[in-house]
Amino acid sequence: MDYFFIIDFVQSLADGLLFGTTYALIGIGFTLIFGVMRKLNLAYGAAALAGTYVGLGLFLTFNAPPFVVFLASAIGAGLIGLVVYYCCFRFTPEAHPMASLLASVGMLLFLEEMMTHVSHGMPHPYPSVLSGATLELGDIWIRGDLLFVFGICVVAMALLFWLLYRTPLGLATRAVSQQPRAAQLCGIDSARVNALTFVIAGVLGGTAGAMTAAAVGILSPIIATGLTVKGLIVVVIGGLGSIPGAIIGGLLVGAAENIFLLLRGVTERDIYVMLLLFLFLTLRPGGLFGSAATRD
Amino acid sequence: MLTLENLSKLFGGVRAVDDVSLTIREGEIFGLIGPNGSGKSTTINLITGLYTPTTGKVTLDGHDLTAMAQHERTSMGVARTFQNIRLFGNLTVAQNLWVAQNGHEQRRAHFLARWFKAGGEHGPDIEELLRFSQLHSKRDLQANALSFGEMRRLEMARALASNPRVLLLDEPAAGASQEDAQLLAERIRAVRDRGVTVLLIEHMMELVMGITDRIAVLNFGRKIAEGSPAEVQMNEDVRAAYLGGSHKNEELVHA
Repeated sequence: MDYFFIIDFVQSLADGLLFGTTYALIGIGFTLIFGVMRKLNLAYGAAALAGTYVGLGLFLTFNAPPFVVFLASAIGAGLIGLVVYYCCFRFTPEAHPMASLLASVGMLLFLEEMMTHVSHGMPHPYPSVLSGATLELGDIWIRGDLLFVFGICVVAMALLFWLLYRTPLGLATRAVSQQPRAAQLCGIDSARVNALTFVIAGVLGGTAGAMTAAAVGILSPIIATGLTVKGLIVVVIGGLGSIPGAIIGGLLVGAAENIFLLLRGVTERDIYVMLLLFLFLTLRPGGLFGSAATRD
Repeated sequence: MLTLENLSKLFGGVRAVDDVSLTIREGEIFGLIGPNGSGKSTTINLITGLYTPTTGKVTLDGHDLTAMAQHERTSMGVARTFQNIRLFGNLTVAQNLWVAQNGHEQRRAHFLARWFKAGGEHGPDIEELLRFSQLHSKRDLQANALSFGEMRRLEMARALASNPRVLLLDEPAAGASQEDAQLLAERIRAVRDRGVTVLLIEHMMELVMGITDRIAVLNFGRKIAEGSPAEVQMNEDVRAAYLGGSHKNEELVHA
């Protein structure tokens, strides 16, 4: 194995791990919502991207600075998450989980159409930070914009952990996800906790959407499917309902994707990522951190 | 104080609870007994709000609870334990209590300030409850790691943490030994002495007959008797209900 191949390999791995944090965020979002509601929100990736378009709107209309654009993307996705909750989950009958699942598929298609309409189906420039800078570690060059993406995603995760493990809101959220009935009888309004969880997951998704766009400098409506599929792969690999699982799964998918890209080229990359998914579904359907924990 | 007025609950065509009226007085330990399937659990679920009654109403100190959601009834002063324990297994013992103490205070106003404030599971009320339940040494342990008996104590403490006026105990002696039952009886009296009215659903007749002030008996969803433990034990309908194919008759007579 020659030296340059090893360098290329390590380079791909590093890029993939850095970018994988955006997948981790999307996976965490899916997992958070599933954790409190035991329902899958398939509109999540599209809602995250729709929020990113809110940020893009500010960028194109007012030429807003990058940090304002990122923040608007995150907050926009949080608000759209709330809309998704009220449209698809709040009033659908508890006894029929299929109702909210299908409603969320409808919402996914609706949001995708909206974004295609607003953007005329064309990619638009999206601001990135540190895009010219590189960090040189010997023969490995770390792109500044990827390092920035990584940093923001890690900060978002740290904030989430603080929220979940250090604040009353987090305690209430964890209580609802463990024992929804008992939590209600402790006086917790589970509908409010559910709504807030959709907002928090939305903010994480909007951050991931913004960072995905910032890493390539372009935002396109076709990313919606990619975000959804990657997010689902991440939670399958990590184990639905596990936040550490989503983080590990995100990094794994990011790294695997880049290595397949190096080894097999861009056209075959996703085939191998899907094979990885089937491998997990067959050999370890509960995921890496899948728990057998039961509740009501 | 807690009254059920002509309460009925139909599941399809089945009358799980059929026109039950009860008045539980402030400060008493009230027993609700009956053979399996007689409607005791449904009654508890109607009081806490998991089910809405088909007809009739539930009031607490004159306030109508019937249309309230479960979490609203908690703020009105209704708390319960579960026959099959439902703790927040991944939270610590103290955090379990904290959630119950604060859950019902999380109202619209200032909720942001309260929900994002760190710490909090070290309040004097929580320390007192931990001592009351003899769980003080386990306060930072995950609830999953407790023994069965400790879990039952924690569940009762958690119910008390929401500062209830009336506490509904759903078969607290299930799985307990005679010795445990003795301690449980003392604990239930201690709860009453804190000023909390107790509604006890229990199969262990010795416990029910020993500590309750009054008892109501359900059979096929209907109330067939109400009165002091002695009166209920002498009641012909009650004896017939328990004789009707249940070994529990023995316990009833010998208790």
